Amino acid sequence: MSQLSLLDAFGDGFARRALLEAVMVGGLCGAVGVHVLLRRLPFFTMALGHATFPGVVLAALLGVSLFLGAALFGAVVVVVVALLGARERVDDTSAVGVTLSGAFALGVLLLSAQAGFSRDLSAYLVGSIVTVQPSDLVTTAVVGAVVLGVLAALHKELVLGAFDRVGLAALGYPVLALDIALLLLVEATVVTSIPAVGTILAVALIVAPAATARLWTERLRATMTLSAALGAASGLVGLAISLQWRVAAGATIVLVAAALFAISLVVAPRHGLLARRGAAAALGGAGAPGGSYLPDESESRDHSGRLAPAAIAWALCQWRVAKIRSLMASIGPTALMRTRIPRRW
Amino acid sequence: MTTWLVQPFTVPYMQRALLEVLLLGALAGAVGVFVVLRRLAFVGDALTHTVFPGVVIAHLLGQSLLLGALAFGVLTALLLTGLGAHRRVGDDAALAILLTSFFSLGVVLISRTRSFTADLTVFLFGRVLAIDQTDLLQTLAVATVVAIALVALRKELVLRAFDPEGAAAMGYRTGALDLALNLLIALVVVAAVEAVGTILVIALIVVPAAAARLLADRVATMTTLACLLGAAGGWLGLAASYRVSVDHGIRLAAGATIVGVLVGLFLLAAAVAPLRRRLLTADTR
Repeated sequence: MSQLSLLDAFGDGFARRALLEAVMVGGLCGAVGVHVLLRRLPFFTMALGHATFPGVVLAALLGVSLFLGAALFGAVVVVVVALLGARERVDDTSAVGVTLSGAFALGVLLLSAQAGFSRDLSAYLVGSIVTVQPSDLVTTAVVGAVVLGVLAALHKELVLGAFDRVGLAALGYPVLALDIALLLLVEATVVTSIPAVGTILAVALIVAPAATARLWTERLRATMTLSAALGAASGLVGLAISLQWRVAAGATIVLVAAALFAISLVVAPRHGLLARRGAAAALGGAGAPGGSYLPDESESRDHSGRLAPAAIAWALCQWRVAKIRSLMASIGPTALMRTRIPRRW
Repeated sequence: MTTWLVQPFTVPYMQRALLEVLLLGALAGAVGVFVVLRRLAFVGDALTHTVFPGVVIAHLLGQSLLLGALAFGVLTALLLTGLGAHRRVGDDAALAILLTSFFSLGVVLISRTRSFTADLTVFLFGRVLAIDQTDLLQTLAVATVVAIALVALRKELVLRAFDPEGAAAMGYRTGALDLALNLLIALVVVAAVEAVGTILVIALIVVPAAAARLLADRVATMTTLACLLGAAGGWLGLAASYRVSVDHGIRLAAGATIVGVLVGLFLLAAAVAPLRRRLLTADTR
């Protein structure tokens, strides 16, 4: 597709609005996504998306703002997950799973009792960016500006909190308040992106650009900038493709973001599959599948079985020096999402 | 009370629905035990979404939905086992991207058809009340395969869950075991897809097992409990959905009602668990 036809697709008023919304949501999600990845919250983000569903249904029934309903229910879910996960025998993954499915079923129940069941539902689930209203644009712009502003203002504290919670507490920062602030930022982002890509796919726009950026650069600031740019680009290209071939817009945007990730996974310098194979060969491990001779690989082998705590620490530690490694391994990513190893079994 | 529970199932389509959810509840409960023990709820969730494009493609080609779902379920299980090993892509991120991109593929494909929203709703939420004989037989076949595999691999899977290093040291191929478990989850998802829909399968898998985990100390007890809870949730949910719809004129989606009942059972278990613990400690003293 030439550049000219790319721009031609945005001739109409609705298409311009959709374009603006896609680029704004993409950029916002990309920036927030880096923090979501840092603290390993993708599943939680997913749950937030589903959990806002009954809130939206209720808001629609009561005739109040959809954003308000979604935001309130999202906040409830943050609390429920934290409470359930604090029980000795409920690990966090299960807590999120139970909350997610329960909230979603509640939404479906509420909706199924109404007429006009399927249409509203699909628009909510997969988004409907082409029907975006000027008021939605304003909401996105305002929420986006606030979220990015807070992220910028708290950047140092949030990053320190992701890598070294003990250090953060020792420096006198309110660790729990910062955790909750971050979760609320993520929630605001999810709620804002629902009109564009829908609840199920919002998590994709948050995670995919950040994961892609992480394959290209080691520096955090560069990762955030690149991630936001990738998110915005995914929005732009995905929307153009969807208008050109008349397929669902939200899903196309997500597919573009995922395609960027898949390409990066193969060709990225240093961390791509090709580069890793080269490195493995250079280390004398020619013929070994997937570069299993890299120094850290044995460590990953040990932890790969336990999806939760050790693997969390291991994945996070690839960002910075080895010193953080031991700390993180004993502490876990965030207090709210902490995972315990069962004592009795 | 008995009539309340039994009377709805005098109608043939309700009988088929009941059989289907009993089978699925027990099956998902048994596999769910390993999902909860290994903390793989996200993997289960991912699989429920990634079979979606398979269902859509099969639907567009006029093939059996089960076959399409099966193909994509197996593909996902393979990809999941492979992608998780990449060092700079965390398990979570890989899962989230895989899940959403596959799901999007399904949405893009189905958005080309005219009956877009109605189809989407059926795939997402199932149509348990429209189950026919063939569907039941398919579920039964899948259930048999999964049950045999679970019984055969039981010891290895439990060892892998509690002591991965030990399992590896004893010469078990942990990668192959992971793949086997992912495939089993995929099979359950595939079997349940038509009845309860892709989204609510995750509830059938995670919720009964998480509730059983609260109440049981032994894997065998936990498995039995999870199967029973899953089946009971299915029964109660169907009966409640039927009763409310017929007697009170409020339409309640059957699949979502089942999930609601399951979550209720989970909350009940969470409330009872501390009492039980106290009784147990009193006994030992």
